Amino acid sequence: MRELKEPKSRHLPLIGGGPHPATIVALEISTFEPYKYLLSTQRKQISPKEKPHMATSFTAPKLSSPTFQTLCRNLPVFVPIPNTLYSVSRHHQRHHHRLQLQQQRQRRLLFVVRAESNNGSEPLRHYDFDLFTIGAGSGGVRASRFAANFGASVAVCELPFSTISSETTGGVGGTCVLRGCVPKKLMVYASKYSHEFDESNGFGWKYDTEPKHDWSTLMANKNAELRRLTGIYKNILGNAGVTLIEGRGKIVDPHTVDVDGKLYTARHILISVGGRPFIPDIPGSEYAIDSDAALDLPSKPEKIAIVGGGYIALEFAGIFNGLQSEVHVFIRQKKVLRGFDEEIRDFVGEQVSLRGIKFHIEESPQAIVKSADGSLSLKTNKGTIKGFSHIMFATGRRPNTKNLGLESVGVKMSSNGSIEVDEYSRTTVPSIWAVGDATDRINLTPVALMEGGALAKTIFQNEPTKPDYRAVPSAVFSQPPIGQVGLTEEQAMKDYGDIDVYTANFRPLKATLSGLPDRVFMKLIVCVKTNKVLGLHMCGDDSAEITQGYAVAIKAGLTKADFDATVGIHPTSAEEFVTMRTPTRKIRQGPESEGKMGHEAKAAAGV
Amino acid sequence: MARKILVDEEMDQTNKEEAHYDFDLFVIGAGSGGVRAARFSANFGAKVGICELPFHPISSEVIGGVGGTCVIRGCVPKKILVYGATFGGELEDARNYGWELNEKLDFNWKKLLHKKTDEIIRLNGIYKRLLSNAGVKLFEGEGKIVGPNEVELTQLDGTKLSYSAKHILIATGSRAHRPLIPGQELGITSDEALSLEDLPKRAVVFGGGYIAVEFASIWRGLGADVNLFFRRELPLRGFDDEMRAVVARNLEARGVNLHAQTNLTELVKTDNGIKVITDHGEEFIADVVLFATGRLPNSKRLNLEAVGVELDNTGAVKVDEYSRTNIPSIWAVGDVTNRMNLTPVALMEGTCFAKTVFGGESSKADYSNIPCAVFSIPPLSVVGLSEEQAIEQANSDVLVFTSTFNPMKNTISGRQEKTVMKLVVDQETDKVLGASMCGPDSPEIMQGIAVALKCGATKAQFDCTVGIHPSAAEEFVTMRSVSRRITVSRKSKTNP
Repeated sequence: MRELKEPKSRHLPLIGGGPHPATIVALEISTFEPYKYLLSTQRKQISPKEKPHMATSFTAPKLSSPTFQTLCRNLPVFVPIPNTLYSVSRHHQRHHHRLQLQQQRQRRLLFVVRAESNNGSEPLRHYDFDLFTIGAGSGGVRASRFAANFGASVAVCELPFSTISSETTGGVGGTCVLRGCVPKKLMVYASKYSHEFDESNGFGWKYDTEPKHDWSTLMANKNAELRRLTGIYKNILGNAGVTLIEGRGKIVDPHTVDVDGKLYTARHILISVGGRPFIPDIPGSEYAIDSDAALDLPSKPEKIAIVGGGYIALEFAGIFNGLQSEVHVFIRQKKVLRGFDEEIRDFVGEQVSLRGIKFHIEESPQAIVKSADGSLSLKTNKGTIKGFSHIMFATGRRPNTKNLGLESVGVKMSSNGSIEVDEYSRTTVPSIWAVGDATDRINLTPVALMEGGALAKTIFQNEPTKPDYRAVPSAVFSQPPIGQVGLTEEQAMKDYGDIDVYTANFRPLKATLSGLPDRVFMKLIVCVKTNKVLGLHMCGDDSAEITQGYAVAIKAGLTKADFDATVGIHPTSAEEFVTMRTPTRKIRQGPESEGKMGHEAKAAAGV
Repeated sequence: MARKILVDEEMDQTNKEEAHYDFDLFVIGAGSGGVRAARFSANFGAKVGICELPFHPISSEVIGGVGGTCVIRGCVPKKILVYGATFGGELEDARNYGWELNEKLDFNWKKLLHKKTDEIIRLNGIYKRLLSNAGVKLFEGEGKIVGPNEVELTQLDGTKLSYSAKHILIATGSRAHRPLIPGQELGITSDEALSLEDLPKRAVVFGGGYIAVEFASIWRGLGADVNLFFRRELPLRGFDDEMRAVVARNLEARGVNLHAQTNLTELVKTDNGIKVITDHGEEFIADVVLFATGRLPNSKRLNLEAVGVELDNTGAVKVDEYSRTNIPSIWAVGDVTNRMNLTPVALMEGTCFAKTVFGGESSKADYSNIPCAVFSIPPLSVVGLSEEQAIEQANSDVLVFTSTFNPMKNTISGRQEKTVMKLVVDQETDKVLGASMCGPDSPEIMQGIAVALKCGATKAQFDCTVGIHPSAAEEFVTMRSVSRRITVSRKSKTNP
């Protein structure tokens, strides 16, 4: 097994001149049996310099270890043989491909035998694969890998790589890695510096000339990182023994997928095609860009209009503002971030405005006009604003379910095109399943991962598993960012009636020195009857990082008393959540309370 | 508000006697623990007096200031300098993100120092206001205990006042101590280090604790040449060994020169700076030599022996679980008791004291699962047991989950620094016994984890929590594979 090492290291392009295993790799680190060793070895190879005096990475058994060999001997079905690993990522090479298919046939046989003995009622039919996944994004890759780990023969198809998605382009890694979370966060890091330069002035740092930003450096480094990650994702699939097929998958019948004219049969088909940005059809909409394009612009926008009030709009407003563009945000409503806690909506709107973003509220776009000088004008219900170099629409995303053959096989979809599934992610056709944004449940990477993991367990582990959507935390990487988990005050009031609300609104230590008007807002919502913390919200530096640990506590159903019993870490912002002693307001809606309805109580508390 | 008083054994029949005391509570020392205890006691209806030495950034027997170590000479100014120094690395990282900065960046130490002092003066004022808003009477001067219910106060002009109090609380904190080596007067402690006139170009730090590591990071981040000497193999004794190694590696990678298992034996003044001689016979020249070799309780000038309050051999005031000394009317909280010397712990002790004595609710401070942070650059934060402690205390096998990864920001900045996270789990109960992290934002991340640990969260509960993507913190809920299992041999436990 030792020869594995060689080819594997060749699969890992080290772009950017250094070993950079990313968070993403760690995120995708396998959960199950021998594969974890593969991955930890892989990580070690990516980072040859890793600490000599640390036990961590060296305690995982090597591939050649006796343990692993025993596993190989005992579990032939579960362990992909090394040639598969090798060949998958070079599947374009014919001889390897042939070899791989042979192995798949061997494994398929083994699996069929097992299926027969396990379940006599199963009709004996030979499929090319146990699972065929359409779409290699977060959900698809997770489900495919885990299914393969459970012994299934798995193929996944994905469109060719491009930073901009379309009917014919995509790329392994999907939205999160190529057009979402990752590039967005990298751009947030880049753009945050302008605020940090301002902050650093207050701490004694000085710049002889104002720092300037070079757009092309950022784009080049960002794209190198994306290509590295898509490569890593391909390796992850390959290491799990999943066959990757490049091309557009279309469902022909409940057990057949067509990829660019080639037919594959599968016992189960998984649709994990994700979503794509949606631009409303108004005159001149062809001049507008979406978030895909906004993440890969050839040059800095001088003046950009962002239409939309959701998290994507807010994040891009922060990015372009930080990278020194003039930013105008047009929102239909009075406030940004519909669906978020009202106080958070107010607070973030205020903080973001203070950083120089101009908001145009209750203003809906009607047309885009291109002037002779190439600049764009945005006509709204309130007037026309001229001189934009770019107009970006962040007006929602739609499931990528068109032209997949779903209607013809009878997979039911909702009016917005999302695939209807039951609690186990099964569609109306029993052999067809769907996870991730294509189902439009909670459109977040970690939720797609959860759905994908649950699906693999349900189908291939004989362990029906429902994803659990309670207390899913999330973050908005606006500047400042937002973190939240559990219910908003409005939801909690509706669901629980009597709640206590604790808030803190303070100037963080860093801002007292920097002199900038940055503040932090924090909020806990507590059920009066059970003392359970129902919701936690925060807007301010490090919100996303801070919220994660609290999400564990809230998911575990901990009470306000538990929060109070925890000692603070001083001096941090996060300690505020364990030192909130007095409710800002008590909301009572029970019939026995003083007869005050929630809203009146709020008004009385001066909110 | 009706005053609630703890029912002391003898107190029921002493309603009349109460009237004779000038105060229900007199607190000596207005630091974190003292201010908290004073305010909360006053909120429970007690009549409270508190005394504190006059304000100065550098403490001595006769100067201090309302706010105490944390605000004036500890957590707060330290964190401000850490912020300042962190920008050093941040600005380097900006270049690969496309920012064009001057080759050499200008840093003005005097400006930072000045702003830091302004901030602590502001906080000193806020603390004074907190006290007066709570109705606590503040006296400036040095307090001494002259009887179980009698405090003598020496004011700035030398005049003496005497007050009687039903309860006396000692909350005088601690001070940095210097090793007794020749030339020790040439060195400084953390007090002075937070108020240096000039940024040292060459700094020597002696000590392996968190203070030593933090100052090494601060000076290095601001561009100084730093040599750190400590007696053990690794810095941060008492922390998880694996994490200690991570901190050491990060310090080195950021340019701090580490000298393990090395003692300083002598300091000599030269024209070129301070000559530092080690027990290995090496010599170094430095502009500043910091002794971060521990702190001692401020219990010397309180006249405690005379009233019979027992001290331990380090000078710490001995107290029971309710923070009561051997003299029933005298209590002590915070660093002067040398239990767990952290601001939030002093706050907890102060709160428990007020509840016990004036809130009608006997409260013991709970020292389990107290999180803490070391603000090195990058920082370390931990809660619960280290791997070594877990193995020692475990009744079943211990599972260790670790994650070592390159933070996303580094993928573009090119900084070669891994973040390391660790969960230590009891195999039998599935309880998470300890969590630690070394990497950016770890103190902020650990606070929420601490709530979970405090309440006995299991690994399964961590696993079923959905991640926040993309964050570093999500690693704590996605650690699926055991890095190692340590079989605890019960034999070795019975036969140590």
